[in-house]
Amino acid sequence: MSAAQIRFATLWRREVNRFMKIKKQTLGAPLLETFLYITVFGAALGSRIKQLHGIDYVVFVIPGLIMMAFSINAFANNSSSILQQKFQGAIQDQLSSPASPLELLLAFSLGGFMRGLMVALLTFLAASLLVDLPVDHVLVLIPSLFLVGFFFSQLGVLTGVRAEQFDDVAFVQTFVLTPLIFLGGVFYSAELLPQPFETITLFNPVYYMINLVRYGFVGYTEVSIALSLLALTAATAALFAVNLRLFSRGYRLRA
Amino acid sequence: MAESALHIEDLFKRYPTGVEALRGVSLEIAPGELFGLLGPNGAGKSTLIHCTTGLAQPTGGAIRILGHDAIDDYGEARQAVGLAPQEPNLDWFLTVEETLDYHAGYFGMPKRERRERTKELLETFSLTEKRDERTRTLSGGMKRRLILARAMMHRPRLLILDEPTAGVDVELRLELWHYVQRINQEGTTILLTTHYIEEAEQLCDRIAFINEGKIVGEGTSEELAARYGVASLEDAYLALVGRKELSRSHIEVSAS
Repeated sequence: MSAAQIRFATLWRREVNRFMKIKKQTLGAPLLETFLYITVFGAALGSRIKQLHGIDYVVFVIPGLIMMAFSINAFANNSSSILQQKFQGAIQDQLSSPASPLELLLAFSLGGFMRGLMVALLTFLAASLLVDLPVDHVLVLIPSLFLVGFFFSQLGVLTGVRAEQFDDVAFVQTFVLTPLIFLGGVFYSAELLPQPFETITLFNPVYYMINLVRYGFVGYTEVSIALSLLALTAATAALFAVNLRLFSRGYRLRA
Repeated sequence: MAESALHIEDLFKRYPTGVEALRGVSLEIAPGELFGLLGPNGAGKSTLIHCTTGLAQPTGGAIRILGHDAIDDYGEARQAVGLAPQEPNLDWFLTVEETLDYHAGYFGMPKRERRERTKELLETFSLTEKRDERTRTLSGGMKRRLILARAMMHRPRLLILDEPTAGVDVELRLELWHYVQRINQEGTTILLTTHYIEEAEQLCDRIAFINEGKIVGEGTSEELAARYGVASLEDAYLALVGRKELSRSHIEVSAS
């Protein structure tokens, strides 16, 4: 391995090591939360609703839950990891190393991506034990999940870099992400909503992400898959470019 | 002519708050030198160190570390520097051993070399028994040892020690002095900031006084004392900060 490869592997390893050391909180809690959602919405509500668009309600809900688990964990990991390290001053060890802004950004991003992926995979495995969960369009599902994970990783990095206190991170997660995800159609189909709520949902970017993942699993969508993939790719690339610029300038990282 | 270990030219640093921490600092440290930087709180010592190590971005001027520009060629420049900061900045999630291993990894050191170097420094700094403990459980003195060991992990050619003995007991202070002198004799250039005059006097080949973001005096302790027309480095320092009345000779004369 070259020195640059060792450096990048170590930066990435540090991020994974951090969440693995507190896995009850970072992996266990999100898994339990998702299991509770499946139980409440699948078993309890599912016994009344039965089917949506010809799909068992619990199966309709699970792709959204997997997407939600991936996104929230990718975001939470990166935002809190960066803020904690800034708070402790420990980030100085990485910042004073020969690592480039790109290496630092990628390593921070991949930490959250890995945590989100692990929670999403475990959720998928657990759900597969409970219900018969199809994977209809794997070639849409994999890039969609990859893009969703990377998008929220970038959003977590951006929030962590900008944040000056833990309240700043909590604000974004509680007052921005959670409403967007819950109102993005994880638990329902937007077509069932009365106006103007159906139209308002179309302005929620998470709605398109949920539809992409749902299409990948069960083959049902309310939006254009190609356009959604294109828009998500563009949004992820734009967010990455913004973060790279911030890392290069040392914004709120270097005095 | 050998390349300077550290060459700083007309360095300015203005923070976004408007505070001008450095106002045209120029400094030259030769390879192998043990150089002291003395100044009151807020004089610009830590800012100068942060600009040198990439933790702060200079507003103007140039920094070259062993011939490498600290901005344009930051990779090579930072590879050559080890920093033991004033404030303990250890990662709470890591153990003592991981702290050293990860640091060396950030500097591209291969696994086998990291393992050997970690073992060596754990022994040198009497940290072997604490190797599996999380850093947040360490005492202040142990944290100080670990920070110094971490700075040394990647075998820097320029070691920057920002008040390394602040708040440590006498035993550890003497231990650190011996270690600093030893690695200096082995060829590592050292930039040391301290508030302890006797530390600078005993350890450093040359000393610079920094005040209000400017270098106001530079030389051996004898040269500095002569420049201020006083008997000792301590008196020269007190003259610099405008507190001559605190001089021991002044107090002794008053008492008699």
